[in-house]
Amino acid sequence: MLKIYLLLFWEFTKIGIFAIGGGYAAIPFLFYLQSQYNWFSVDELINMIAVANITPGPVGINMATYTGLKTAGIIGAMISTFSIVLVPFILTIFIVKLLSKFQHNKDVNYAFIGFRCAACALLTYIAFKLLLQTASIKNFTDFDKSSLILFFILISTFCFMRKNPLLTIIAGALGGIIFNSFL
Amino acid sequence: MKISLLEIFKVFFIIGLQLLGGGYVIVPLLKKYLVEERHWLNEEELTDFFALSQCIPGIIAGNIAVCAGHKVRGILGAITALLGIIVPCFLAILIIVQLISGFTDNQTVQNAFKGIRISVVVLIFITIKELWSKSVNSVFSYFLFFAIFAALCLLPISPVFIIISAGLISLIYFRLKGVKNA
Repeated sequence: MLKIYLLLFWEFTKIGIFAIGGGYAAIPFLFYLQSQYNWFSVDELINMIAVANITPGPVGINMATYTGLKTAGIIGAMISTFSIVLVPFILTIFIVKLLSKFQHNKDVNYAFIGFRCAACALLTYIAFKLLLQTASIKNFTDFDKSSLILFFILISTFCFMRKNPLLTIIAGALGGIIFNSFL
Repeated sequence: MKISLLEIFKVFFIIGLQLLGGGYVIVPLLKKYLVEERHWLNEEELTDFFALSQCIPGIIAGNIAVCAGHKVRGILGAITALLGIIVPCFLAILIIVQLISGFTDNQTVQNAFKGIRISVVVLIFITIKELWSKSVNSVFSYFLFFAIFAALCLLPISPVFIIISAGLISLIYFRLKGVKNA
């Protein structure tokens, strides 16, 4: 058990440092964790992201708590939550004192152009991978029709609105019930 | 007059409870509770903190809370504010997970989760759309984006490695470009 605690601490500290650009930036890291340790299945991880989205609190912190809980119980949840905020906390305290100097530092801005771009590319890669998986797309003819139809219905409905996780997830749940129970 | 830590915790706890759907939601909440109702910050400071939080790794809402708490009561204030944000979500997750685990064997709930997983993919795509204009908006960033995407499709690379190398490539590129223009 101690080994899992240490691993959780190490992995979530890393996520805290490298997940740049908000809670969703942590998602590619969580999938990487999944592939490395097999603490939970991909489906379980997607369920966790959904729950994190409809629970009060920053999505990134919710995901850390939930992942820790799932992996190593309540102590695991505490460790992962603590670890994900640890380094950003120290950095923020340190930087807020040098606020203007840091914000207008050219090199920092240059590096952040790359960081943001990488965060976006990582998330895009995961999004396509998940789409293939959730709609069980194996090739152009072999896929789960109802899932793919639901995907297109949801994305065309919600992509032009302001992001509304709660509504999107409720619509998905209803769609899932209708497509899988009645059709 | 010193503001009590309990008061700081209380305010951030209330804000934490209302955070639903992404870090940016915290900005209007801080404006209401800290700027307008309590005058702990002024609007300009809030804008600065928000800009700064996006340039620091980590959860944006947590970083802003740390900045604001630090302004109000130094390091102790920062720790208290961060705890205030974290505790409600921690408890909420514990409660919700308990509630859900009673239903997971039910077929209808499983069907619902099948649809919910698709919603998550949709939400990720919408997030990409929002990030896109802020992060992929020049020839250089298009190039970097597709290079990383292609690399990921070919090899299983750790996200940490990707982030560090993208930062370095970007730094070197703009440095060299700056030298050339000067």
